[in-house]
This record gives sequence, structure tokens and C-alpha cells, in this order.
Amino acid sequence: MYFHTWPFVLFFLIVYSIYLVLKETRFRLLFSLAASYFFYACFNPLYLILIAYSTLLDYVAIAKMEKNRHRKVWLCISIINNLGLLCFFKYGGFITDNINVLLASLGVPYAVPAPSVLLPVGISFYTFQSMSYVIDYYRGNIEREKSFIKYATYICFFPRLVAGPIERAENLLPQLHSLPKVSIQDVTDGLSLFIVGFFKKVALADYLALYVDKVYAAPQQFQSPALVLATFLFSWQIYFDFSGYTDMARGLARMMGLRLMLNFNNPYLATSLADFWQRWHISLSSWFKDYVYIPLGGNRKGMFTTYRNMFLTMVASGLWHGAAWTFVIWGTVHALGRFLTRELERTTFYKEKVPKLIKQLFVFVFVAFAWIFFRAENISDAGVIVTKIFNSGLTNPYCPLLALVLILAVWLYQFAYESKVKWVLELRAVRVGIVVLMILYLAIFAPSSEQPFIYSQF
Amino acid sequence: MMVPFSSNCVRLSAREWGVVIVIVAALFCLGPLFWELAEKFEPGPDYRLPYELSNDYWLYKRYCRWACSRNKTLVIGDSVIWGHYVPKDNTLSHYLNEITGRDQFANLGVDGIHPVALAGLLRYYGKDISDKNIILHFNPLWLSSRKHDLQIEKEFHFDHPKLAPQFFPNIPCYKASYSKRLSAVIGRIVPFASFPSHLNKTYFDSMDLSAWTIEHPYACPERSRGDVPKFEIPRPVGAPDIAKRDFEWVALETSFQWRFFQRSVEMLRERENRVFVLVGPFNEHILQGQSIDTYRKTKSQIETWLKQNNVSYYVPEVLPSQLYRDASHPVSKGYAVLAKKLFENDSFRKLVIGNGAAGQSNGARQQRAE
Repeated sequence: MYFHTWPFVLFFLIVYSIYLVLKETRFRLLFSLAASYFFYACFNPLYLILIAYSTLLDYVAIAKMEKNRHRKVWLCISIINNLGLLCFFKYGGFITDNINVLLASLGVPYAVPAPSVLLPVGISFYTFQSMSYVIDYYRGNIEREKSFIKYATYICFFPRLVAGPIERAENLLPQLHSLPKVSIQDVTDGLSLFIVGFFKKVALADYLALYVDKVYAAPQQFQSPALVLATFLFSWQIYFDFSGYTDMARGLARMMGLRLMLNFNNPYLATSLADFWQRWHISLSSWFKDYVYIPLGGNRKGMFTTYRNMFLTMVASGLWHGAAWTFVIWGTVHALGRFLTRELERTTFYKEKVPKLIKQLFVFVFVAFAWIFFRAENISDAGVIVTKIFNSGLTNPYCPLLALVLILAVWLYQFAYESKVKWVLELRAVRVGIVVLMILYLAIFAPSSEQPFIYSQF
Repeated sequence: MMVPFSSNCVRLSAREWGVVIVIVAALFCLGPLFWELAEKFEPGPDYRLPYELSNDYWLYKRYCRWACSRNKTLVIGDSVIWGHYVPKDNTLSHYLNEITGRDQFANLGVDGIHPVALAGLLRYYGKDISDKNIILHFNPLWLSSRKHDLQIEKEFHFDHPKLAPQFFPNIPCYKASYSKRLSAVIGRIVPFASFPSHLNKTYFDSMDLSAWTIEHPYACPERSRGDVPKFEIPRPVGAPDIAKRDFEWVALETSFQWRFFQRSVEMLRERENRVFVLVGPFNEHILQGQSIDTYRKTKSQIETWLKQNNVSYYVPEVLPSQLYRDASHPVSKGYAVLAKKLFENDSFRKLVIGNGAAGQSNGARQQRAE
């Protein structure tokens, strides 16, 4: 039951109506929790056991920590439990596959059986959110949430359950404590966010996927122009898909009187790779910064340690996205990119002499190149794509012009948004006109597909 | 903690949303009307809905409106009425017009439709059909197996699923997702919803714009020249499908298709139409064994229901076997013979000439009032 499907619309209309009635009563959180669990059960009722177990264990861990008994032990239990769940459900197949390859290469006549379990939707998001809460409590950054209902609602609040943002307790829990004030402005703001996200997902991401999927399914059959364009389109597809989800999630939460964090801030206008990671999947980037990079020492212990920490953080971030070597390579490519550009970006020449547009173009090209490893079915395909991009003929790519026109329109909009002419976009007529155009495009031309969100698979 | 609103300027106030709703509603209402003015639609004699546009319900609605304003009698039914194996000037409505010597009968048959879908079509897209003479065809083929009657549990893809009931009554072989079902329900309720589908079917080879641009990356929609395209795909040629066989007829009282056919009759009569039901003619030559007896029994039950409900009807005798192309579709000469036979039927003559038609309509009204 994804946001862009009719069952969800029906679900939300019912839930929202009841929520508005209950919002000032003590039942509001219980109802939010029940609605969230129902939403999650629609993907697979068995998932409920897992999320309930994960929530309960972390709740107990913090309760034990509060009594000052073996705080570190309970922290370790919580982290091991969360990472263990991730390892089993998400990386089980990957780990056993690699062990078996190793055993076979050593001539050991034994194969470790691969766990045949279904990857629970959104597991990476809610386990990371839960871990951040436990760590923050251990560090003394937040108070313990005594109400299990509130804590469980914080973990599984349905707008952000499937693909984030990975909310920090300090942002969301206080909002759950107070009675939500749902003003008309909240509703209209929520609708504004939702319609933009809906357009990004249905009209743009799912459209671009048609071309990208065709090319990436059999890259051997395509030449350089098609591969370049498919990679270019995928860069935008994944942005529209994921930021579209986040916009919808934020819109739904806003309508319920809750504010979720901004997760994307026009990342393809970044002027450096560091800037890119401050604009792309901000909740995950900041999670890795706060709970991996800084605990490893950050940039405080010399250049070697800094680069080592950057490398480990980026590779871990790659692996977070998926259980395959392609994701590890994607993380590594970004780490190498940071190594190579970090010093350059600090020079006066780069800061002052290189035009902003060139910097943006450079960052985009690098990020798009890295997406090859993210999107390719396997390392072999990624190798084929990279090789053929630089070493194959110029044939007609048969890439739809409409897709390129739509991307150009979005890019120009974003470019204007971060320039001096932003005031034009703020004009009432422009804002209203854009929403009317989006609705008409969705009503008349949008595909009727029900493709899942890319990030819900992580 | 201040959370930035967004990374764009699309943030509307309540008043601005009101403006958006008014503009969009106006465009939804007026857009299709203006499109009708821009897109020529001149069906001409013997017109039938193009085969490739069989599920363009917006066009069907438009054609209904056109036919109702022009023709006195509408011939409604499935591919037998549409004329699956014959050119458009060899259909039943054509031969009926030939006999009367004027353009009185309009072919409102839809290829691939079945009684369950027909009920949906008439309910949602045939609202303009009122106070007309209706020849409503019932094809007994739809009772010839549990599969034809949509009663089997195993999923199969029948035609026009969007016109079938989406939730209740449950169709066991219809396994569409809830999302698709809801989408179909909303598509039927919202008048605008069939318009994008018309554009897709007419100008984008039955694809949506996205899929169409993937197939035609550099093209503009080729057919947007201001005319509804007149598709007429060649009918399949080959040996006629007339092998003898046993049919596992579904009992009339439990038949899904029959129940919906009854609904169509009631619906048309509620709209003050004068309904005349044509049953068959089914190709009895291909029946064997127990099948013949069961078929005849079913036929007589159908007649009983029609009589009991004061519905004019005609169950023609079976045509000579060479006049059939398969179990239910006549060939050209078969339609000519059927048209003649219809005009030999008193009730039919009364209906199309006009005598007694109003009486039947009044009778139906009286019956409903009781």
C-alpha cells in the first residue's frame, strides 16, 4: 500500500478523519499506532512481529539503562540486536553467498544454506531510527520516553515507516508529547507537499524508469549514447522517486500536525561532494556523521584517520543501501571522490575562480557516474556499462525527448529557486499555475503504474 | 525546532487551493466539451465503434449521444451485433436499415462485451439512451460454460473488466488488486476519467503518454489531426470454428451473466426505453448429446422470464449451419436472413413502426409501479 495508490488514499481518508476527531484525546497516539501497524501489516502481517520485537527490545534496553545498571551492556545488546536483524534479513543471503564462494575457492565441499526470508519493507529505516534513539539516550542527549505507546508510534509512524526520513527522537518525540494543532495552514501545506511528491513519483520517476529499466536490463545491447542517457535519467529517477516519497511523507505528517525533517534540498545543485551529502538523504547522511564518522574520530586525528573514517563511513553507507558488492563499490567511489576533491575544494582557485555552474556540473557528472554501480544488476553489468560508455559507437539512443524536456524544466526551476529570480517562483500566479499544471498532467498523462518506491526496498 | 518547509516554492494557502480547485474543476468539465468541438466525429451510416476502440468508453458515450439524437432504434449487444466476422455494411443493423429503406437502426454493439460488462456500460456510459426503441441482444454463448459465465475460481482475463462489478457481487475469476478495482470504480464515477483514456486509445496506440514516448521517442502523436481515427482491422480468416461439442451449460437461475442481462433490461426500461430482446440465434448445429436438451430448456426459461416481465422478444429458429461462422456469429448472409425474420415478427414490427410501443412502455411503467 504505497502512497500513490488508491487503497492508500482510501486508508488515509479514513484514518485522517478519525485522527481529527481523536487528536485532542488520549486515544490519539493509540490510534496512530494502530493505524501505523495496520499500514505496515498491509505489506505483510508477519512484519509486525519483527517491528514489535525490535521496538520492545529497545524500549526495555532504555528502561534498564535508566536504572544505571550495565548501561553499556544494554547499549551493546540493543545495537547487536538491531544490526543482527539487519544482517539476518537484509544481508543473510549476501553473507552466505560470499562465504560459499570462499568455501568453494578453498575446495571445501560444503555450502552454507542461505536464509530464505523476505526483506521486511523499511527495516533499514526503522532499525536506524531506533538505534539513534538508544545511542542518544546512552549519551545523555535525550530523556527516556516512558510511554511505550509514544515510543512505538515514534518508531513506526506510518508516513515515514517505509522509507524515512530517519527522524531523530529530539525532533519527533516532543511533537508526539504535545497535542497536535492542526491548522488550515497545516492541511494546505501538507497538500502542497503531497502533490509535489506525487508528481515527482508518478509523472517523473515512474516515467523515467521505463527507459532506464529497458537499458539497464540488457546493457550489452546498447551503445554509449543510450547508456549515458539511461544513467542520466536514472540519476533523476532516483531523486524524483525518493524525494517524492519524502515529500509525500512530510505532507501527510504535516496534515496530522507533525513536522518531519527536510530530507532533500535540491542535491543536483550541489557545488561539491560534501555539499551533495548535505543535500541528499540528509537524515541518513547526518545519521552516519553522528553515529559512525564522529565516533570513529571524525577529522580530529590527522589526515590519514580523517580519510580512513570518511572511507569507512561511505562504504557503510553504500552497504546500508543494499546487500550487494555494487553498493559497496558505489560507497567506495563516493569515498574516493571525497578524497580527490576535498583538498581541491578548499583551494582559493576552486572557491573563487571556478564558475558555480561548472562546479555543479562536475558534481552532477561524478554523482551520475557513481549511480551506475548503484543501479546495475551486478558488477559485471556495471563493468559493461562503464566500458561501453567510453568505448562504443554512437548510435541513436531512442531516448524520449519528453523525458529530457521534463528534466530540463525541473532543473531550471531548481536553478531559479537558488538564484536571484526566486521571487518569480514565489508569485501567486506562478505557484497556482504550477499546481494546476501538475494536477492536469497527472490526470491526463500520468502512467497508471503502481511501481514501488526504490528506497522502500532498502 | 524549526523544520524548513521545502526545497521549492510550491506552498499554497487555503484560498490559493480554492483557486486551484475551481480552475481544475472548470478544466475537467469544459476540457472534454471543447475537445468534442475540436475533434471531428462524423460516424455516417452503418457506423460501429472501431474494434481497437472497443474499450474507449468516452467515445461510446459520445456515439450513444449522437445515435440517440439521430436514430429511432438502437441495436445493443456484443460482437454478434457488432458484426465480428463481417464488414460494417453487412451487420444486422445494416440489413434492418436496408429493409426499412432509411437510417433507422444504429449499431451500438461492442466487440468483446458480455452481459456483465454491458450492464456497466449502459449504467455509466449509456445514460443518454432514453425513450428509444431498443433491440437488446442476448447471446446464449455466455451461459455455455462456467468460464463464460465468469464463475470459475481460477483467474482469467476477460474483456472489459473495468465495467464489471469491482467488489460486490464478487467475480471469482477477477483477481485485480484493490488499487485497480478502486481505480475502476473512480473512473466510472468521475465523468472526466474516461477522457484521458480516450486520448490514450485514440492517439497513443492504447498506451499512456509515457509508454508511447518510449516507443516513439521523437514523434508527436501522429493521429492528432482533428478526426477520431476510423480503425477497421481485418477480421481473422481461417477455418470456421464449428466443430461439434458438448457445452456445460450453466443453470439460468445461478448464472452471473443472465442476472446482469436482466439488470440491463430493467435499467433500459426504467429509462423509458421500449426494449425488445433478441435471443440468439445460437448455432445449435454444433451441439451434441445432452447439450441440446439443456440448451432448449434454458432457452425456454429465458422466454418464460421475458414473458413474465412483459418484455417483447424474439427467439429466432436456428439458421442453416452454413450461415454461421462459429457458435454464435452469423456470416453476412446470416444477418440478412435474421433481419428478414425479425420483420416477420409482429412484436418487432410493432416496435419499429411505433404501434404498441408506447403501450409496452406504459405497461412496464405500470408493472414497476405495482
